[in-house]
Amino acid sequence: MNELIASLQEVNWPLIAPLFLLSLILMITALVDCLKRGQTNGPKILWILVIVFINFFGPIVYFLFGRRNNE
Amino acid sequence: MQQWKVLFRKELKESLRNYKWLWIPVVFVLLGITQPLTSYYFADIIEQFGALPEGAIVDIPPPTSAEVLAGTLGQFNQIGLLVLVLAFMGTVAAEKNDGTLIMVLAKPVAHFNYLTAKWVHVLVLAVSSFLLGYAAAVYYTILLIGSISFSQVVISALVYCLWLCFVMTLAVCLSALLNSSGLAAFATLATALILSIASIYAPDLVKGSPGMLTVYSEQYLYAGEPEDGFWLGVIVTAGLIFIMMSAAIYLFKNQEAAKNAG
Amino acid sequence: MNLIETKGLAKQFNETAAVKDLNLSVREGACTALLGPNGAGKTTALNMLTGLMKPTQGTIHFHANYPGDRREYLGYLPQHPKFFGWMSGLEYVTFAAQLAGLEKEEAIARAKEMLDLVGLTDNRAKKTAGYSGGMKQRLGIAQALVHSPKMIMLDEPVSALDPIGRREILELMKELKKRTSILFSTHVLHDAEEVSDDIYIMKKGEVVAEGSLVSLQEKYRQPAIVIETERNLADWAQLIEDKAWLRHMKTEETKATLTVENIENARTELLNDASLQQLNIVKFEVMKTSLEDLFMQVMN
Repeated sequence: MNELIASLQEVNWPLIAPLFLLSLILMITALVDCLKRGQTNGPKILWILVIVFINFFGPIVYFLFGRRNNE
Repeated sequence: MQQWKVLFRKELKESLRNYKWLWIPVVFVLLGITQPLTSYYFADIIEQFGALPEGAIVDIPPPTSAEVLAGTLGQFNQIGLLVLVLAFMGTVAAEKNDGTLIMVLAKPVAHFNYLTAKWVHVLVLAVSSFLLGYAAAVYYTILLIGSISFSQVVISALVYCLWLCFVMTLAVCLSALLNSSGLAAFATLATALILSIASIYAPDLVKGSPGMLTVYSEQYLYAGEPEDGFWLGVIVTAGLIFIMMSAAIYLFKNQEAAKNAG
Repeated sequence: MNLIETKGLAKQFNETAAVKDLNLSVREGACTALLGPNGAGKTTALNMLTGLMKPTQGTIHFHANYPGDRREYLGYLPQHPKFFGWMSGLEYVTFAAQLAGLEKEEAIARAKEMLDLVGLTDNRAKKTAGYSGGMKQRLGIAQALVHSPKMIMLDEPVSALDPIGRREILELMKELKKRTSILFSTHVLHDAEEVSDDIYIMKKGEVVAEGSLVSLQEKYRQPAIVIETERNLADWAQLIEDKAWLRHMKTEETKATLTVENIENARTELLNDASLQQLNIVKFEVMKTSLEDLFMQVMN
């Protein structure tokens, strides 16, 4: 365990931070869009779960298939 | 020209409002930084989480910058391309199906303007997303792995851009000619896949094929000079883009916008 | 002056002829109705006029004063107008105006004016995705009018609306007649009678009656006599079949409807007809047929 903590400290956080930040932006944008939208393709609650719990691919799949085209 | 700008601005506004201009570039940047990061931490990750016997020495030679960037292009070519094609499969087909197309074409709108405004917008978004993602990848690679010559990076990017433009042109054309968005996406991805497979298994037979551009762009990263067939591929692809677009405009114009409603 | 004229216009979809030999003329400044049941070919005819469909045969001629792409002089409202849901009403009408060649400032000013005309000023900033059916219809009219076309074509503009919405749009059309020529389709005779100057009645792709509203009403307003008897009048009907004053007769068991040339002669003769009296007359009514009777024939 100590070894793991030590290696985590070695990780260069400024390098990793953009990864988390961008994933977060992706997720929040998808979430905001989903909540603002009147209707989604399929149950909204399911999309919210997909967006929040499936990293990276969740928001992408929502953006591609969760929205009706003309709204 | 005035009308073209109006149509282009409509596309731009639409993609801003539905966040395409945000999420697609973000996806490319994420893909771009993931590859150098995982390459860099690969040995650590194996050491920490891999099921290696106690005391085993992990000796994986660190990848070169060219290898990492070539790997990034590979990522763009899979997830990136899939996302772009799916995002724009309905650019015309959906407007046909939801009835907004006839509202537009009932106005004195030139089919050329309608289609090329969409086309240019799709290319601008695709190329910008790719360049952003690739720039991020280059930055991380230089930081973590090592430097690489500027001209190698730029030329490989340009060649890859041409391939991207080819695929997105096909997607826009098929969206205009077919009535189903899904079919347009499927046909585009199938074509891209066949071209890629051909370029892997029979590169000598398809030297001028657009599919070879991905190979040429990766090879340029390694070698720093154009491969045999490089220029042929570039010229053929540019020609094909022009021909596809001209044919699509012609056929689209002769298509009946209104469907028989009885 | 005829704004648009078609000669022998026809449209074939595979085996079915949606429109056959249509000769249509729309007068400038007039409101013309295409009246007919569903499937009569009204929408197909309008689609060919806008250029959204190509005719299988025949020609469309737009007045020579207005050269070039005829879409510049036309406004079109499809039966189910669809908009980009992410645009506001004002954005959409401005977009439509710019497509027709108006400069931005002018387009916005015109769009506001049109939205005011159709009563959407309060909702112009709202996304069109949230518009009701009646609002969409009005927005559709605004976008059709925004480039000041010479003629607007409205496909079933009131059929999807509730009575109040219907009333509003009909009133609006009366107002619009002052600005532009109108060609509209409908399957409701009263709508056509209320606003149109000229009427084409269509059935199965063909025009079965045409003319100005007044002339059609005149033509189909023939004197008629309705007779009802206790006994079956079929035998008696054969006796008078060849009378000169009789135009047309319809009988069913104990009821006969006679369309006649001269109501005075016919009445005198019929009332003195002994064989008719033997059938025990229950009802003897003098009336006039209407356009509605003709239209009912067409609809059935």
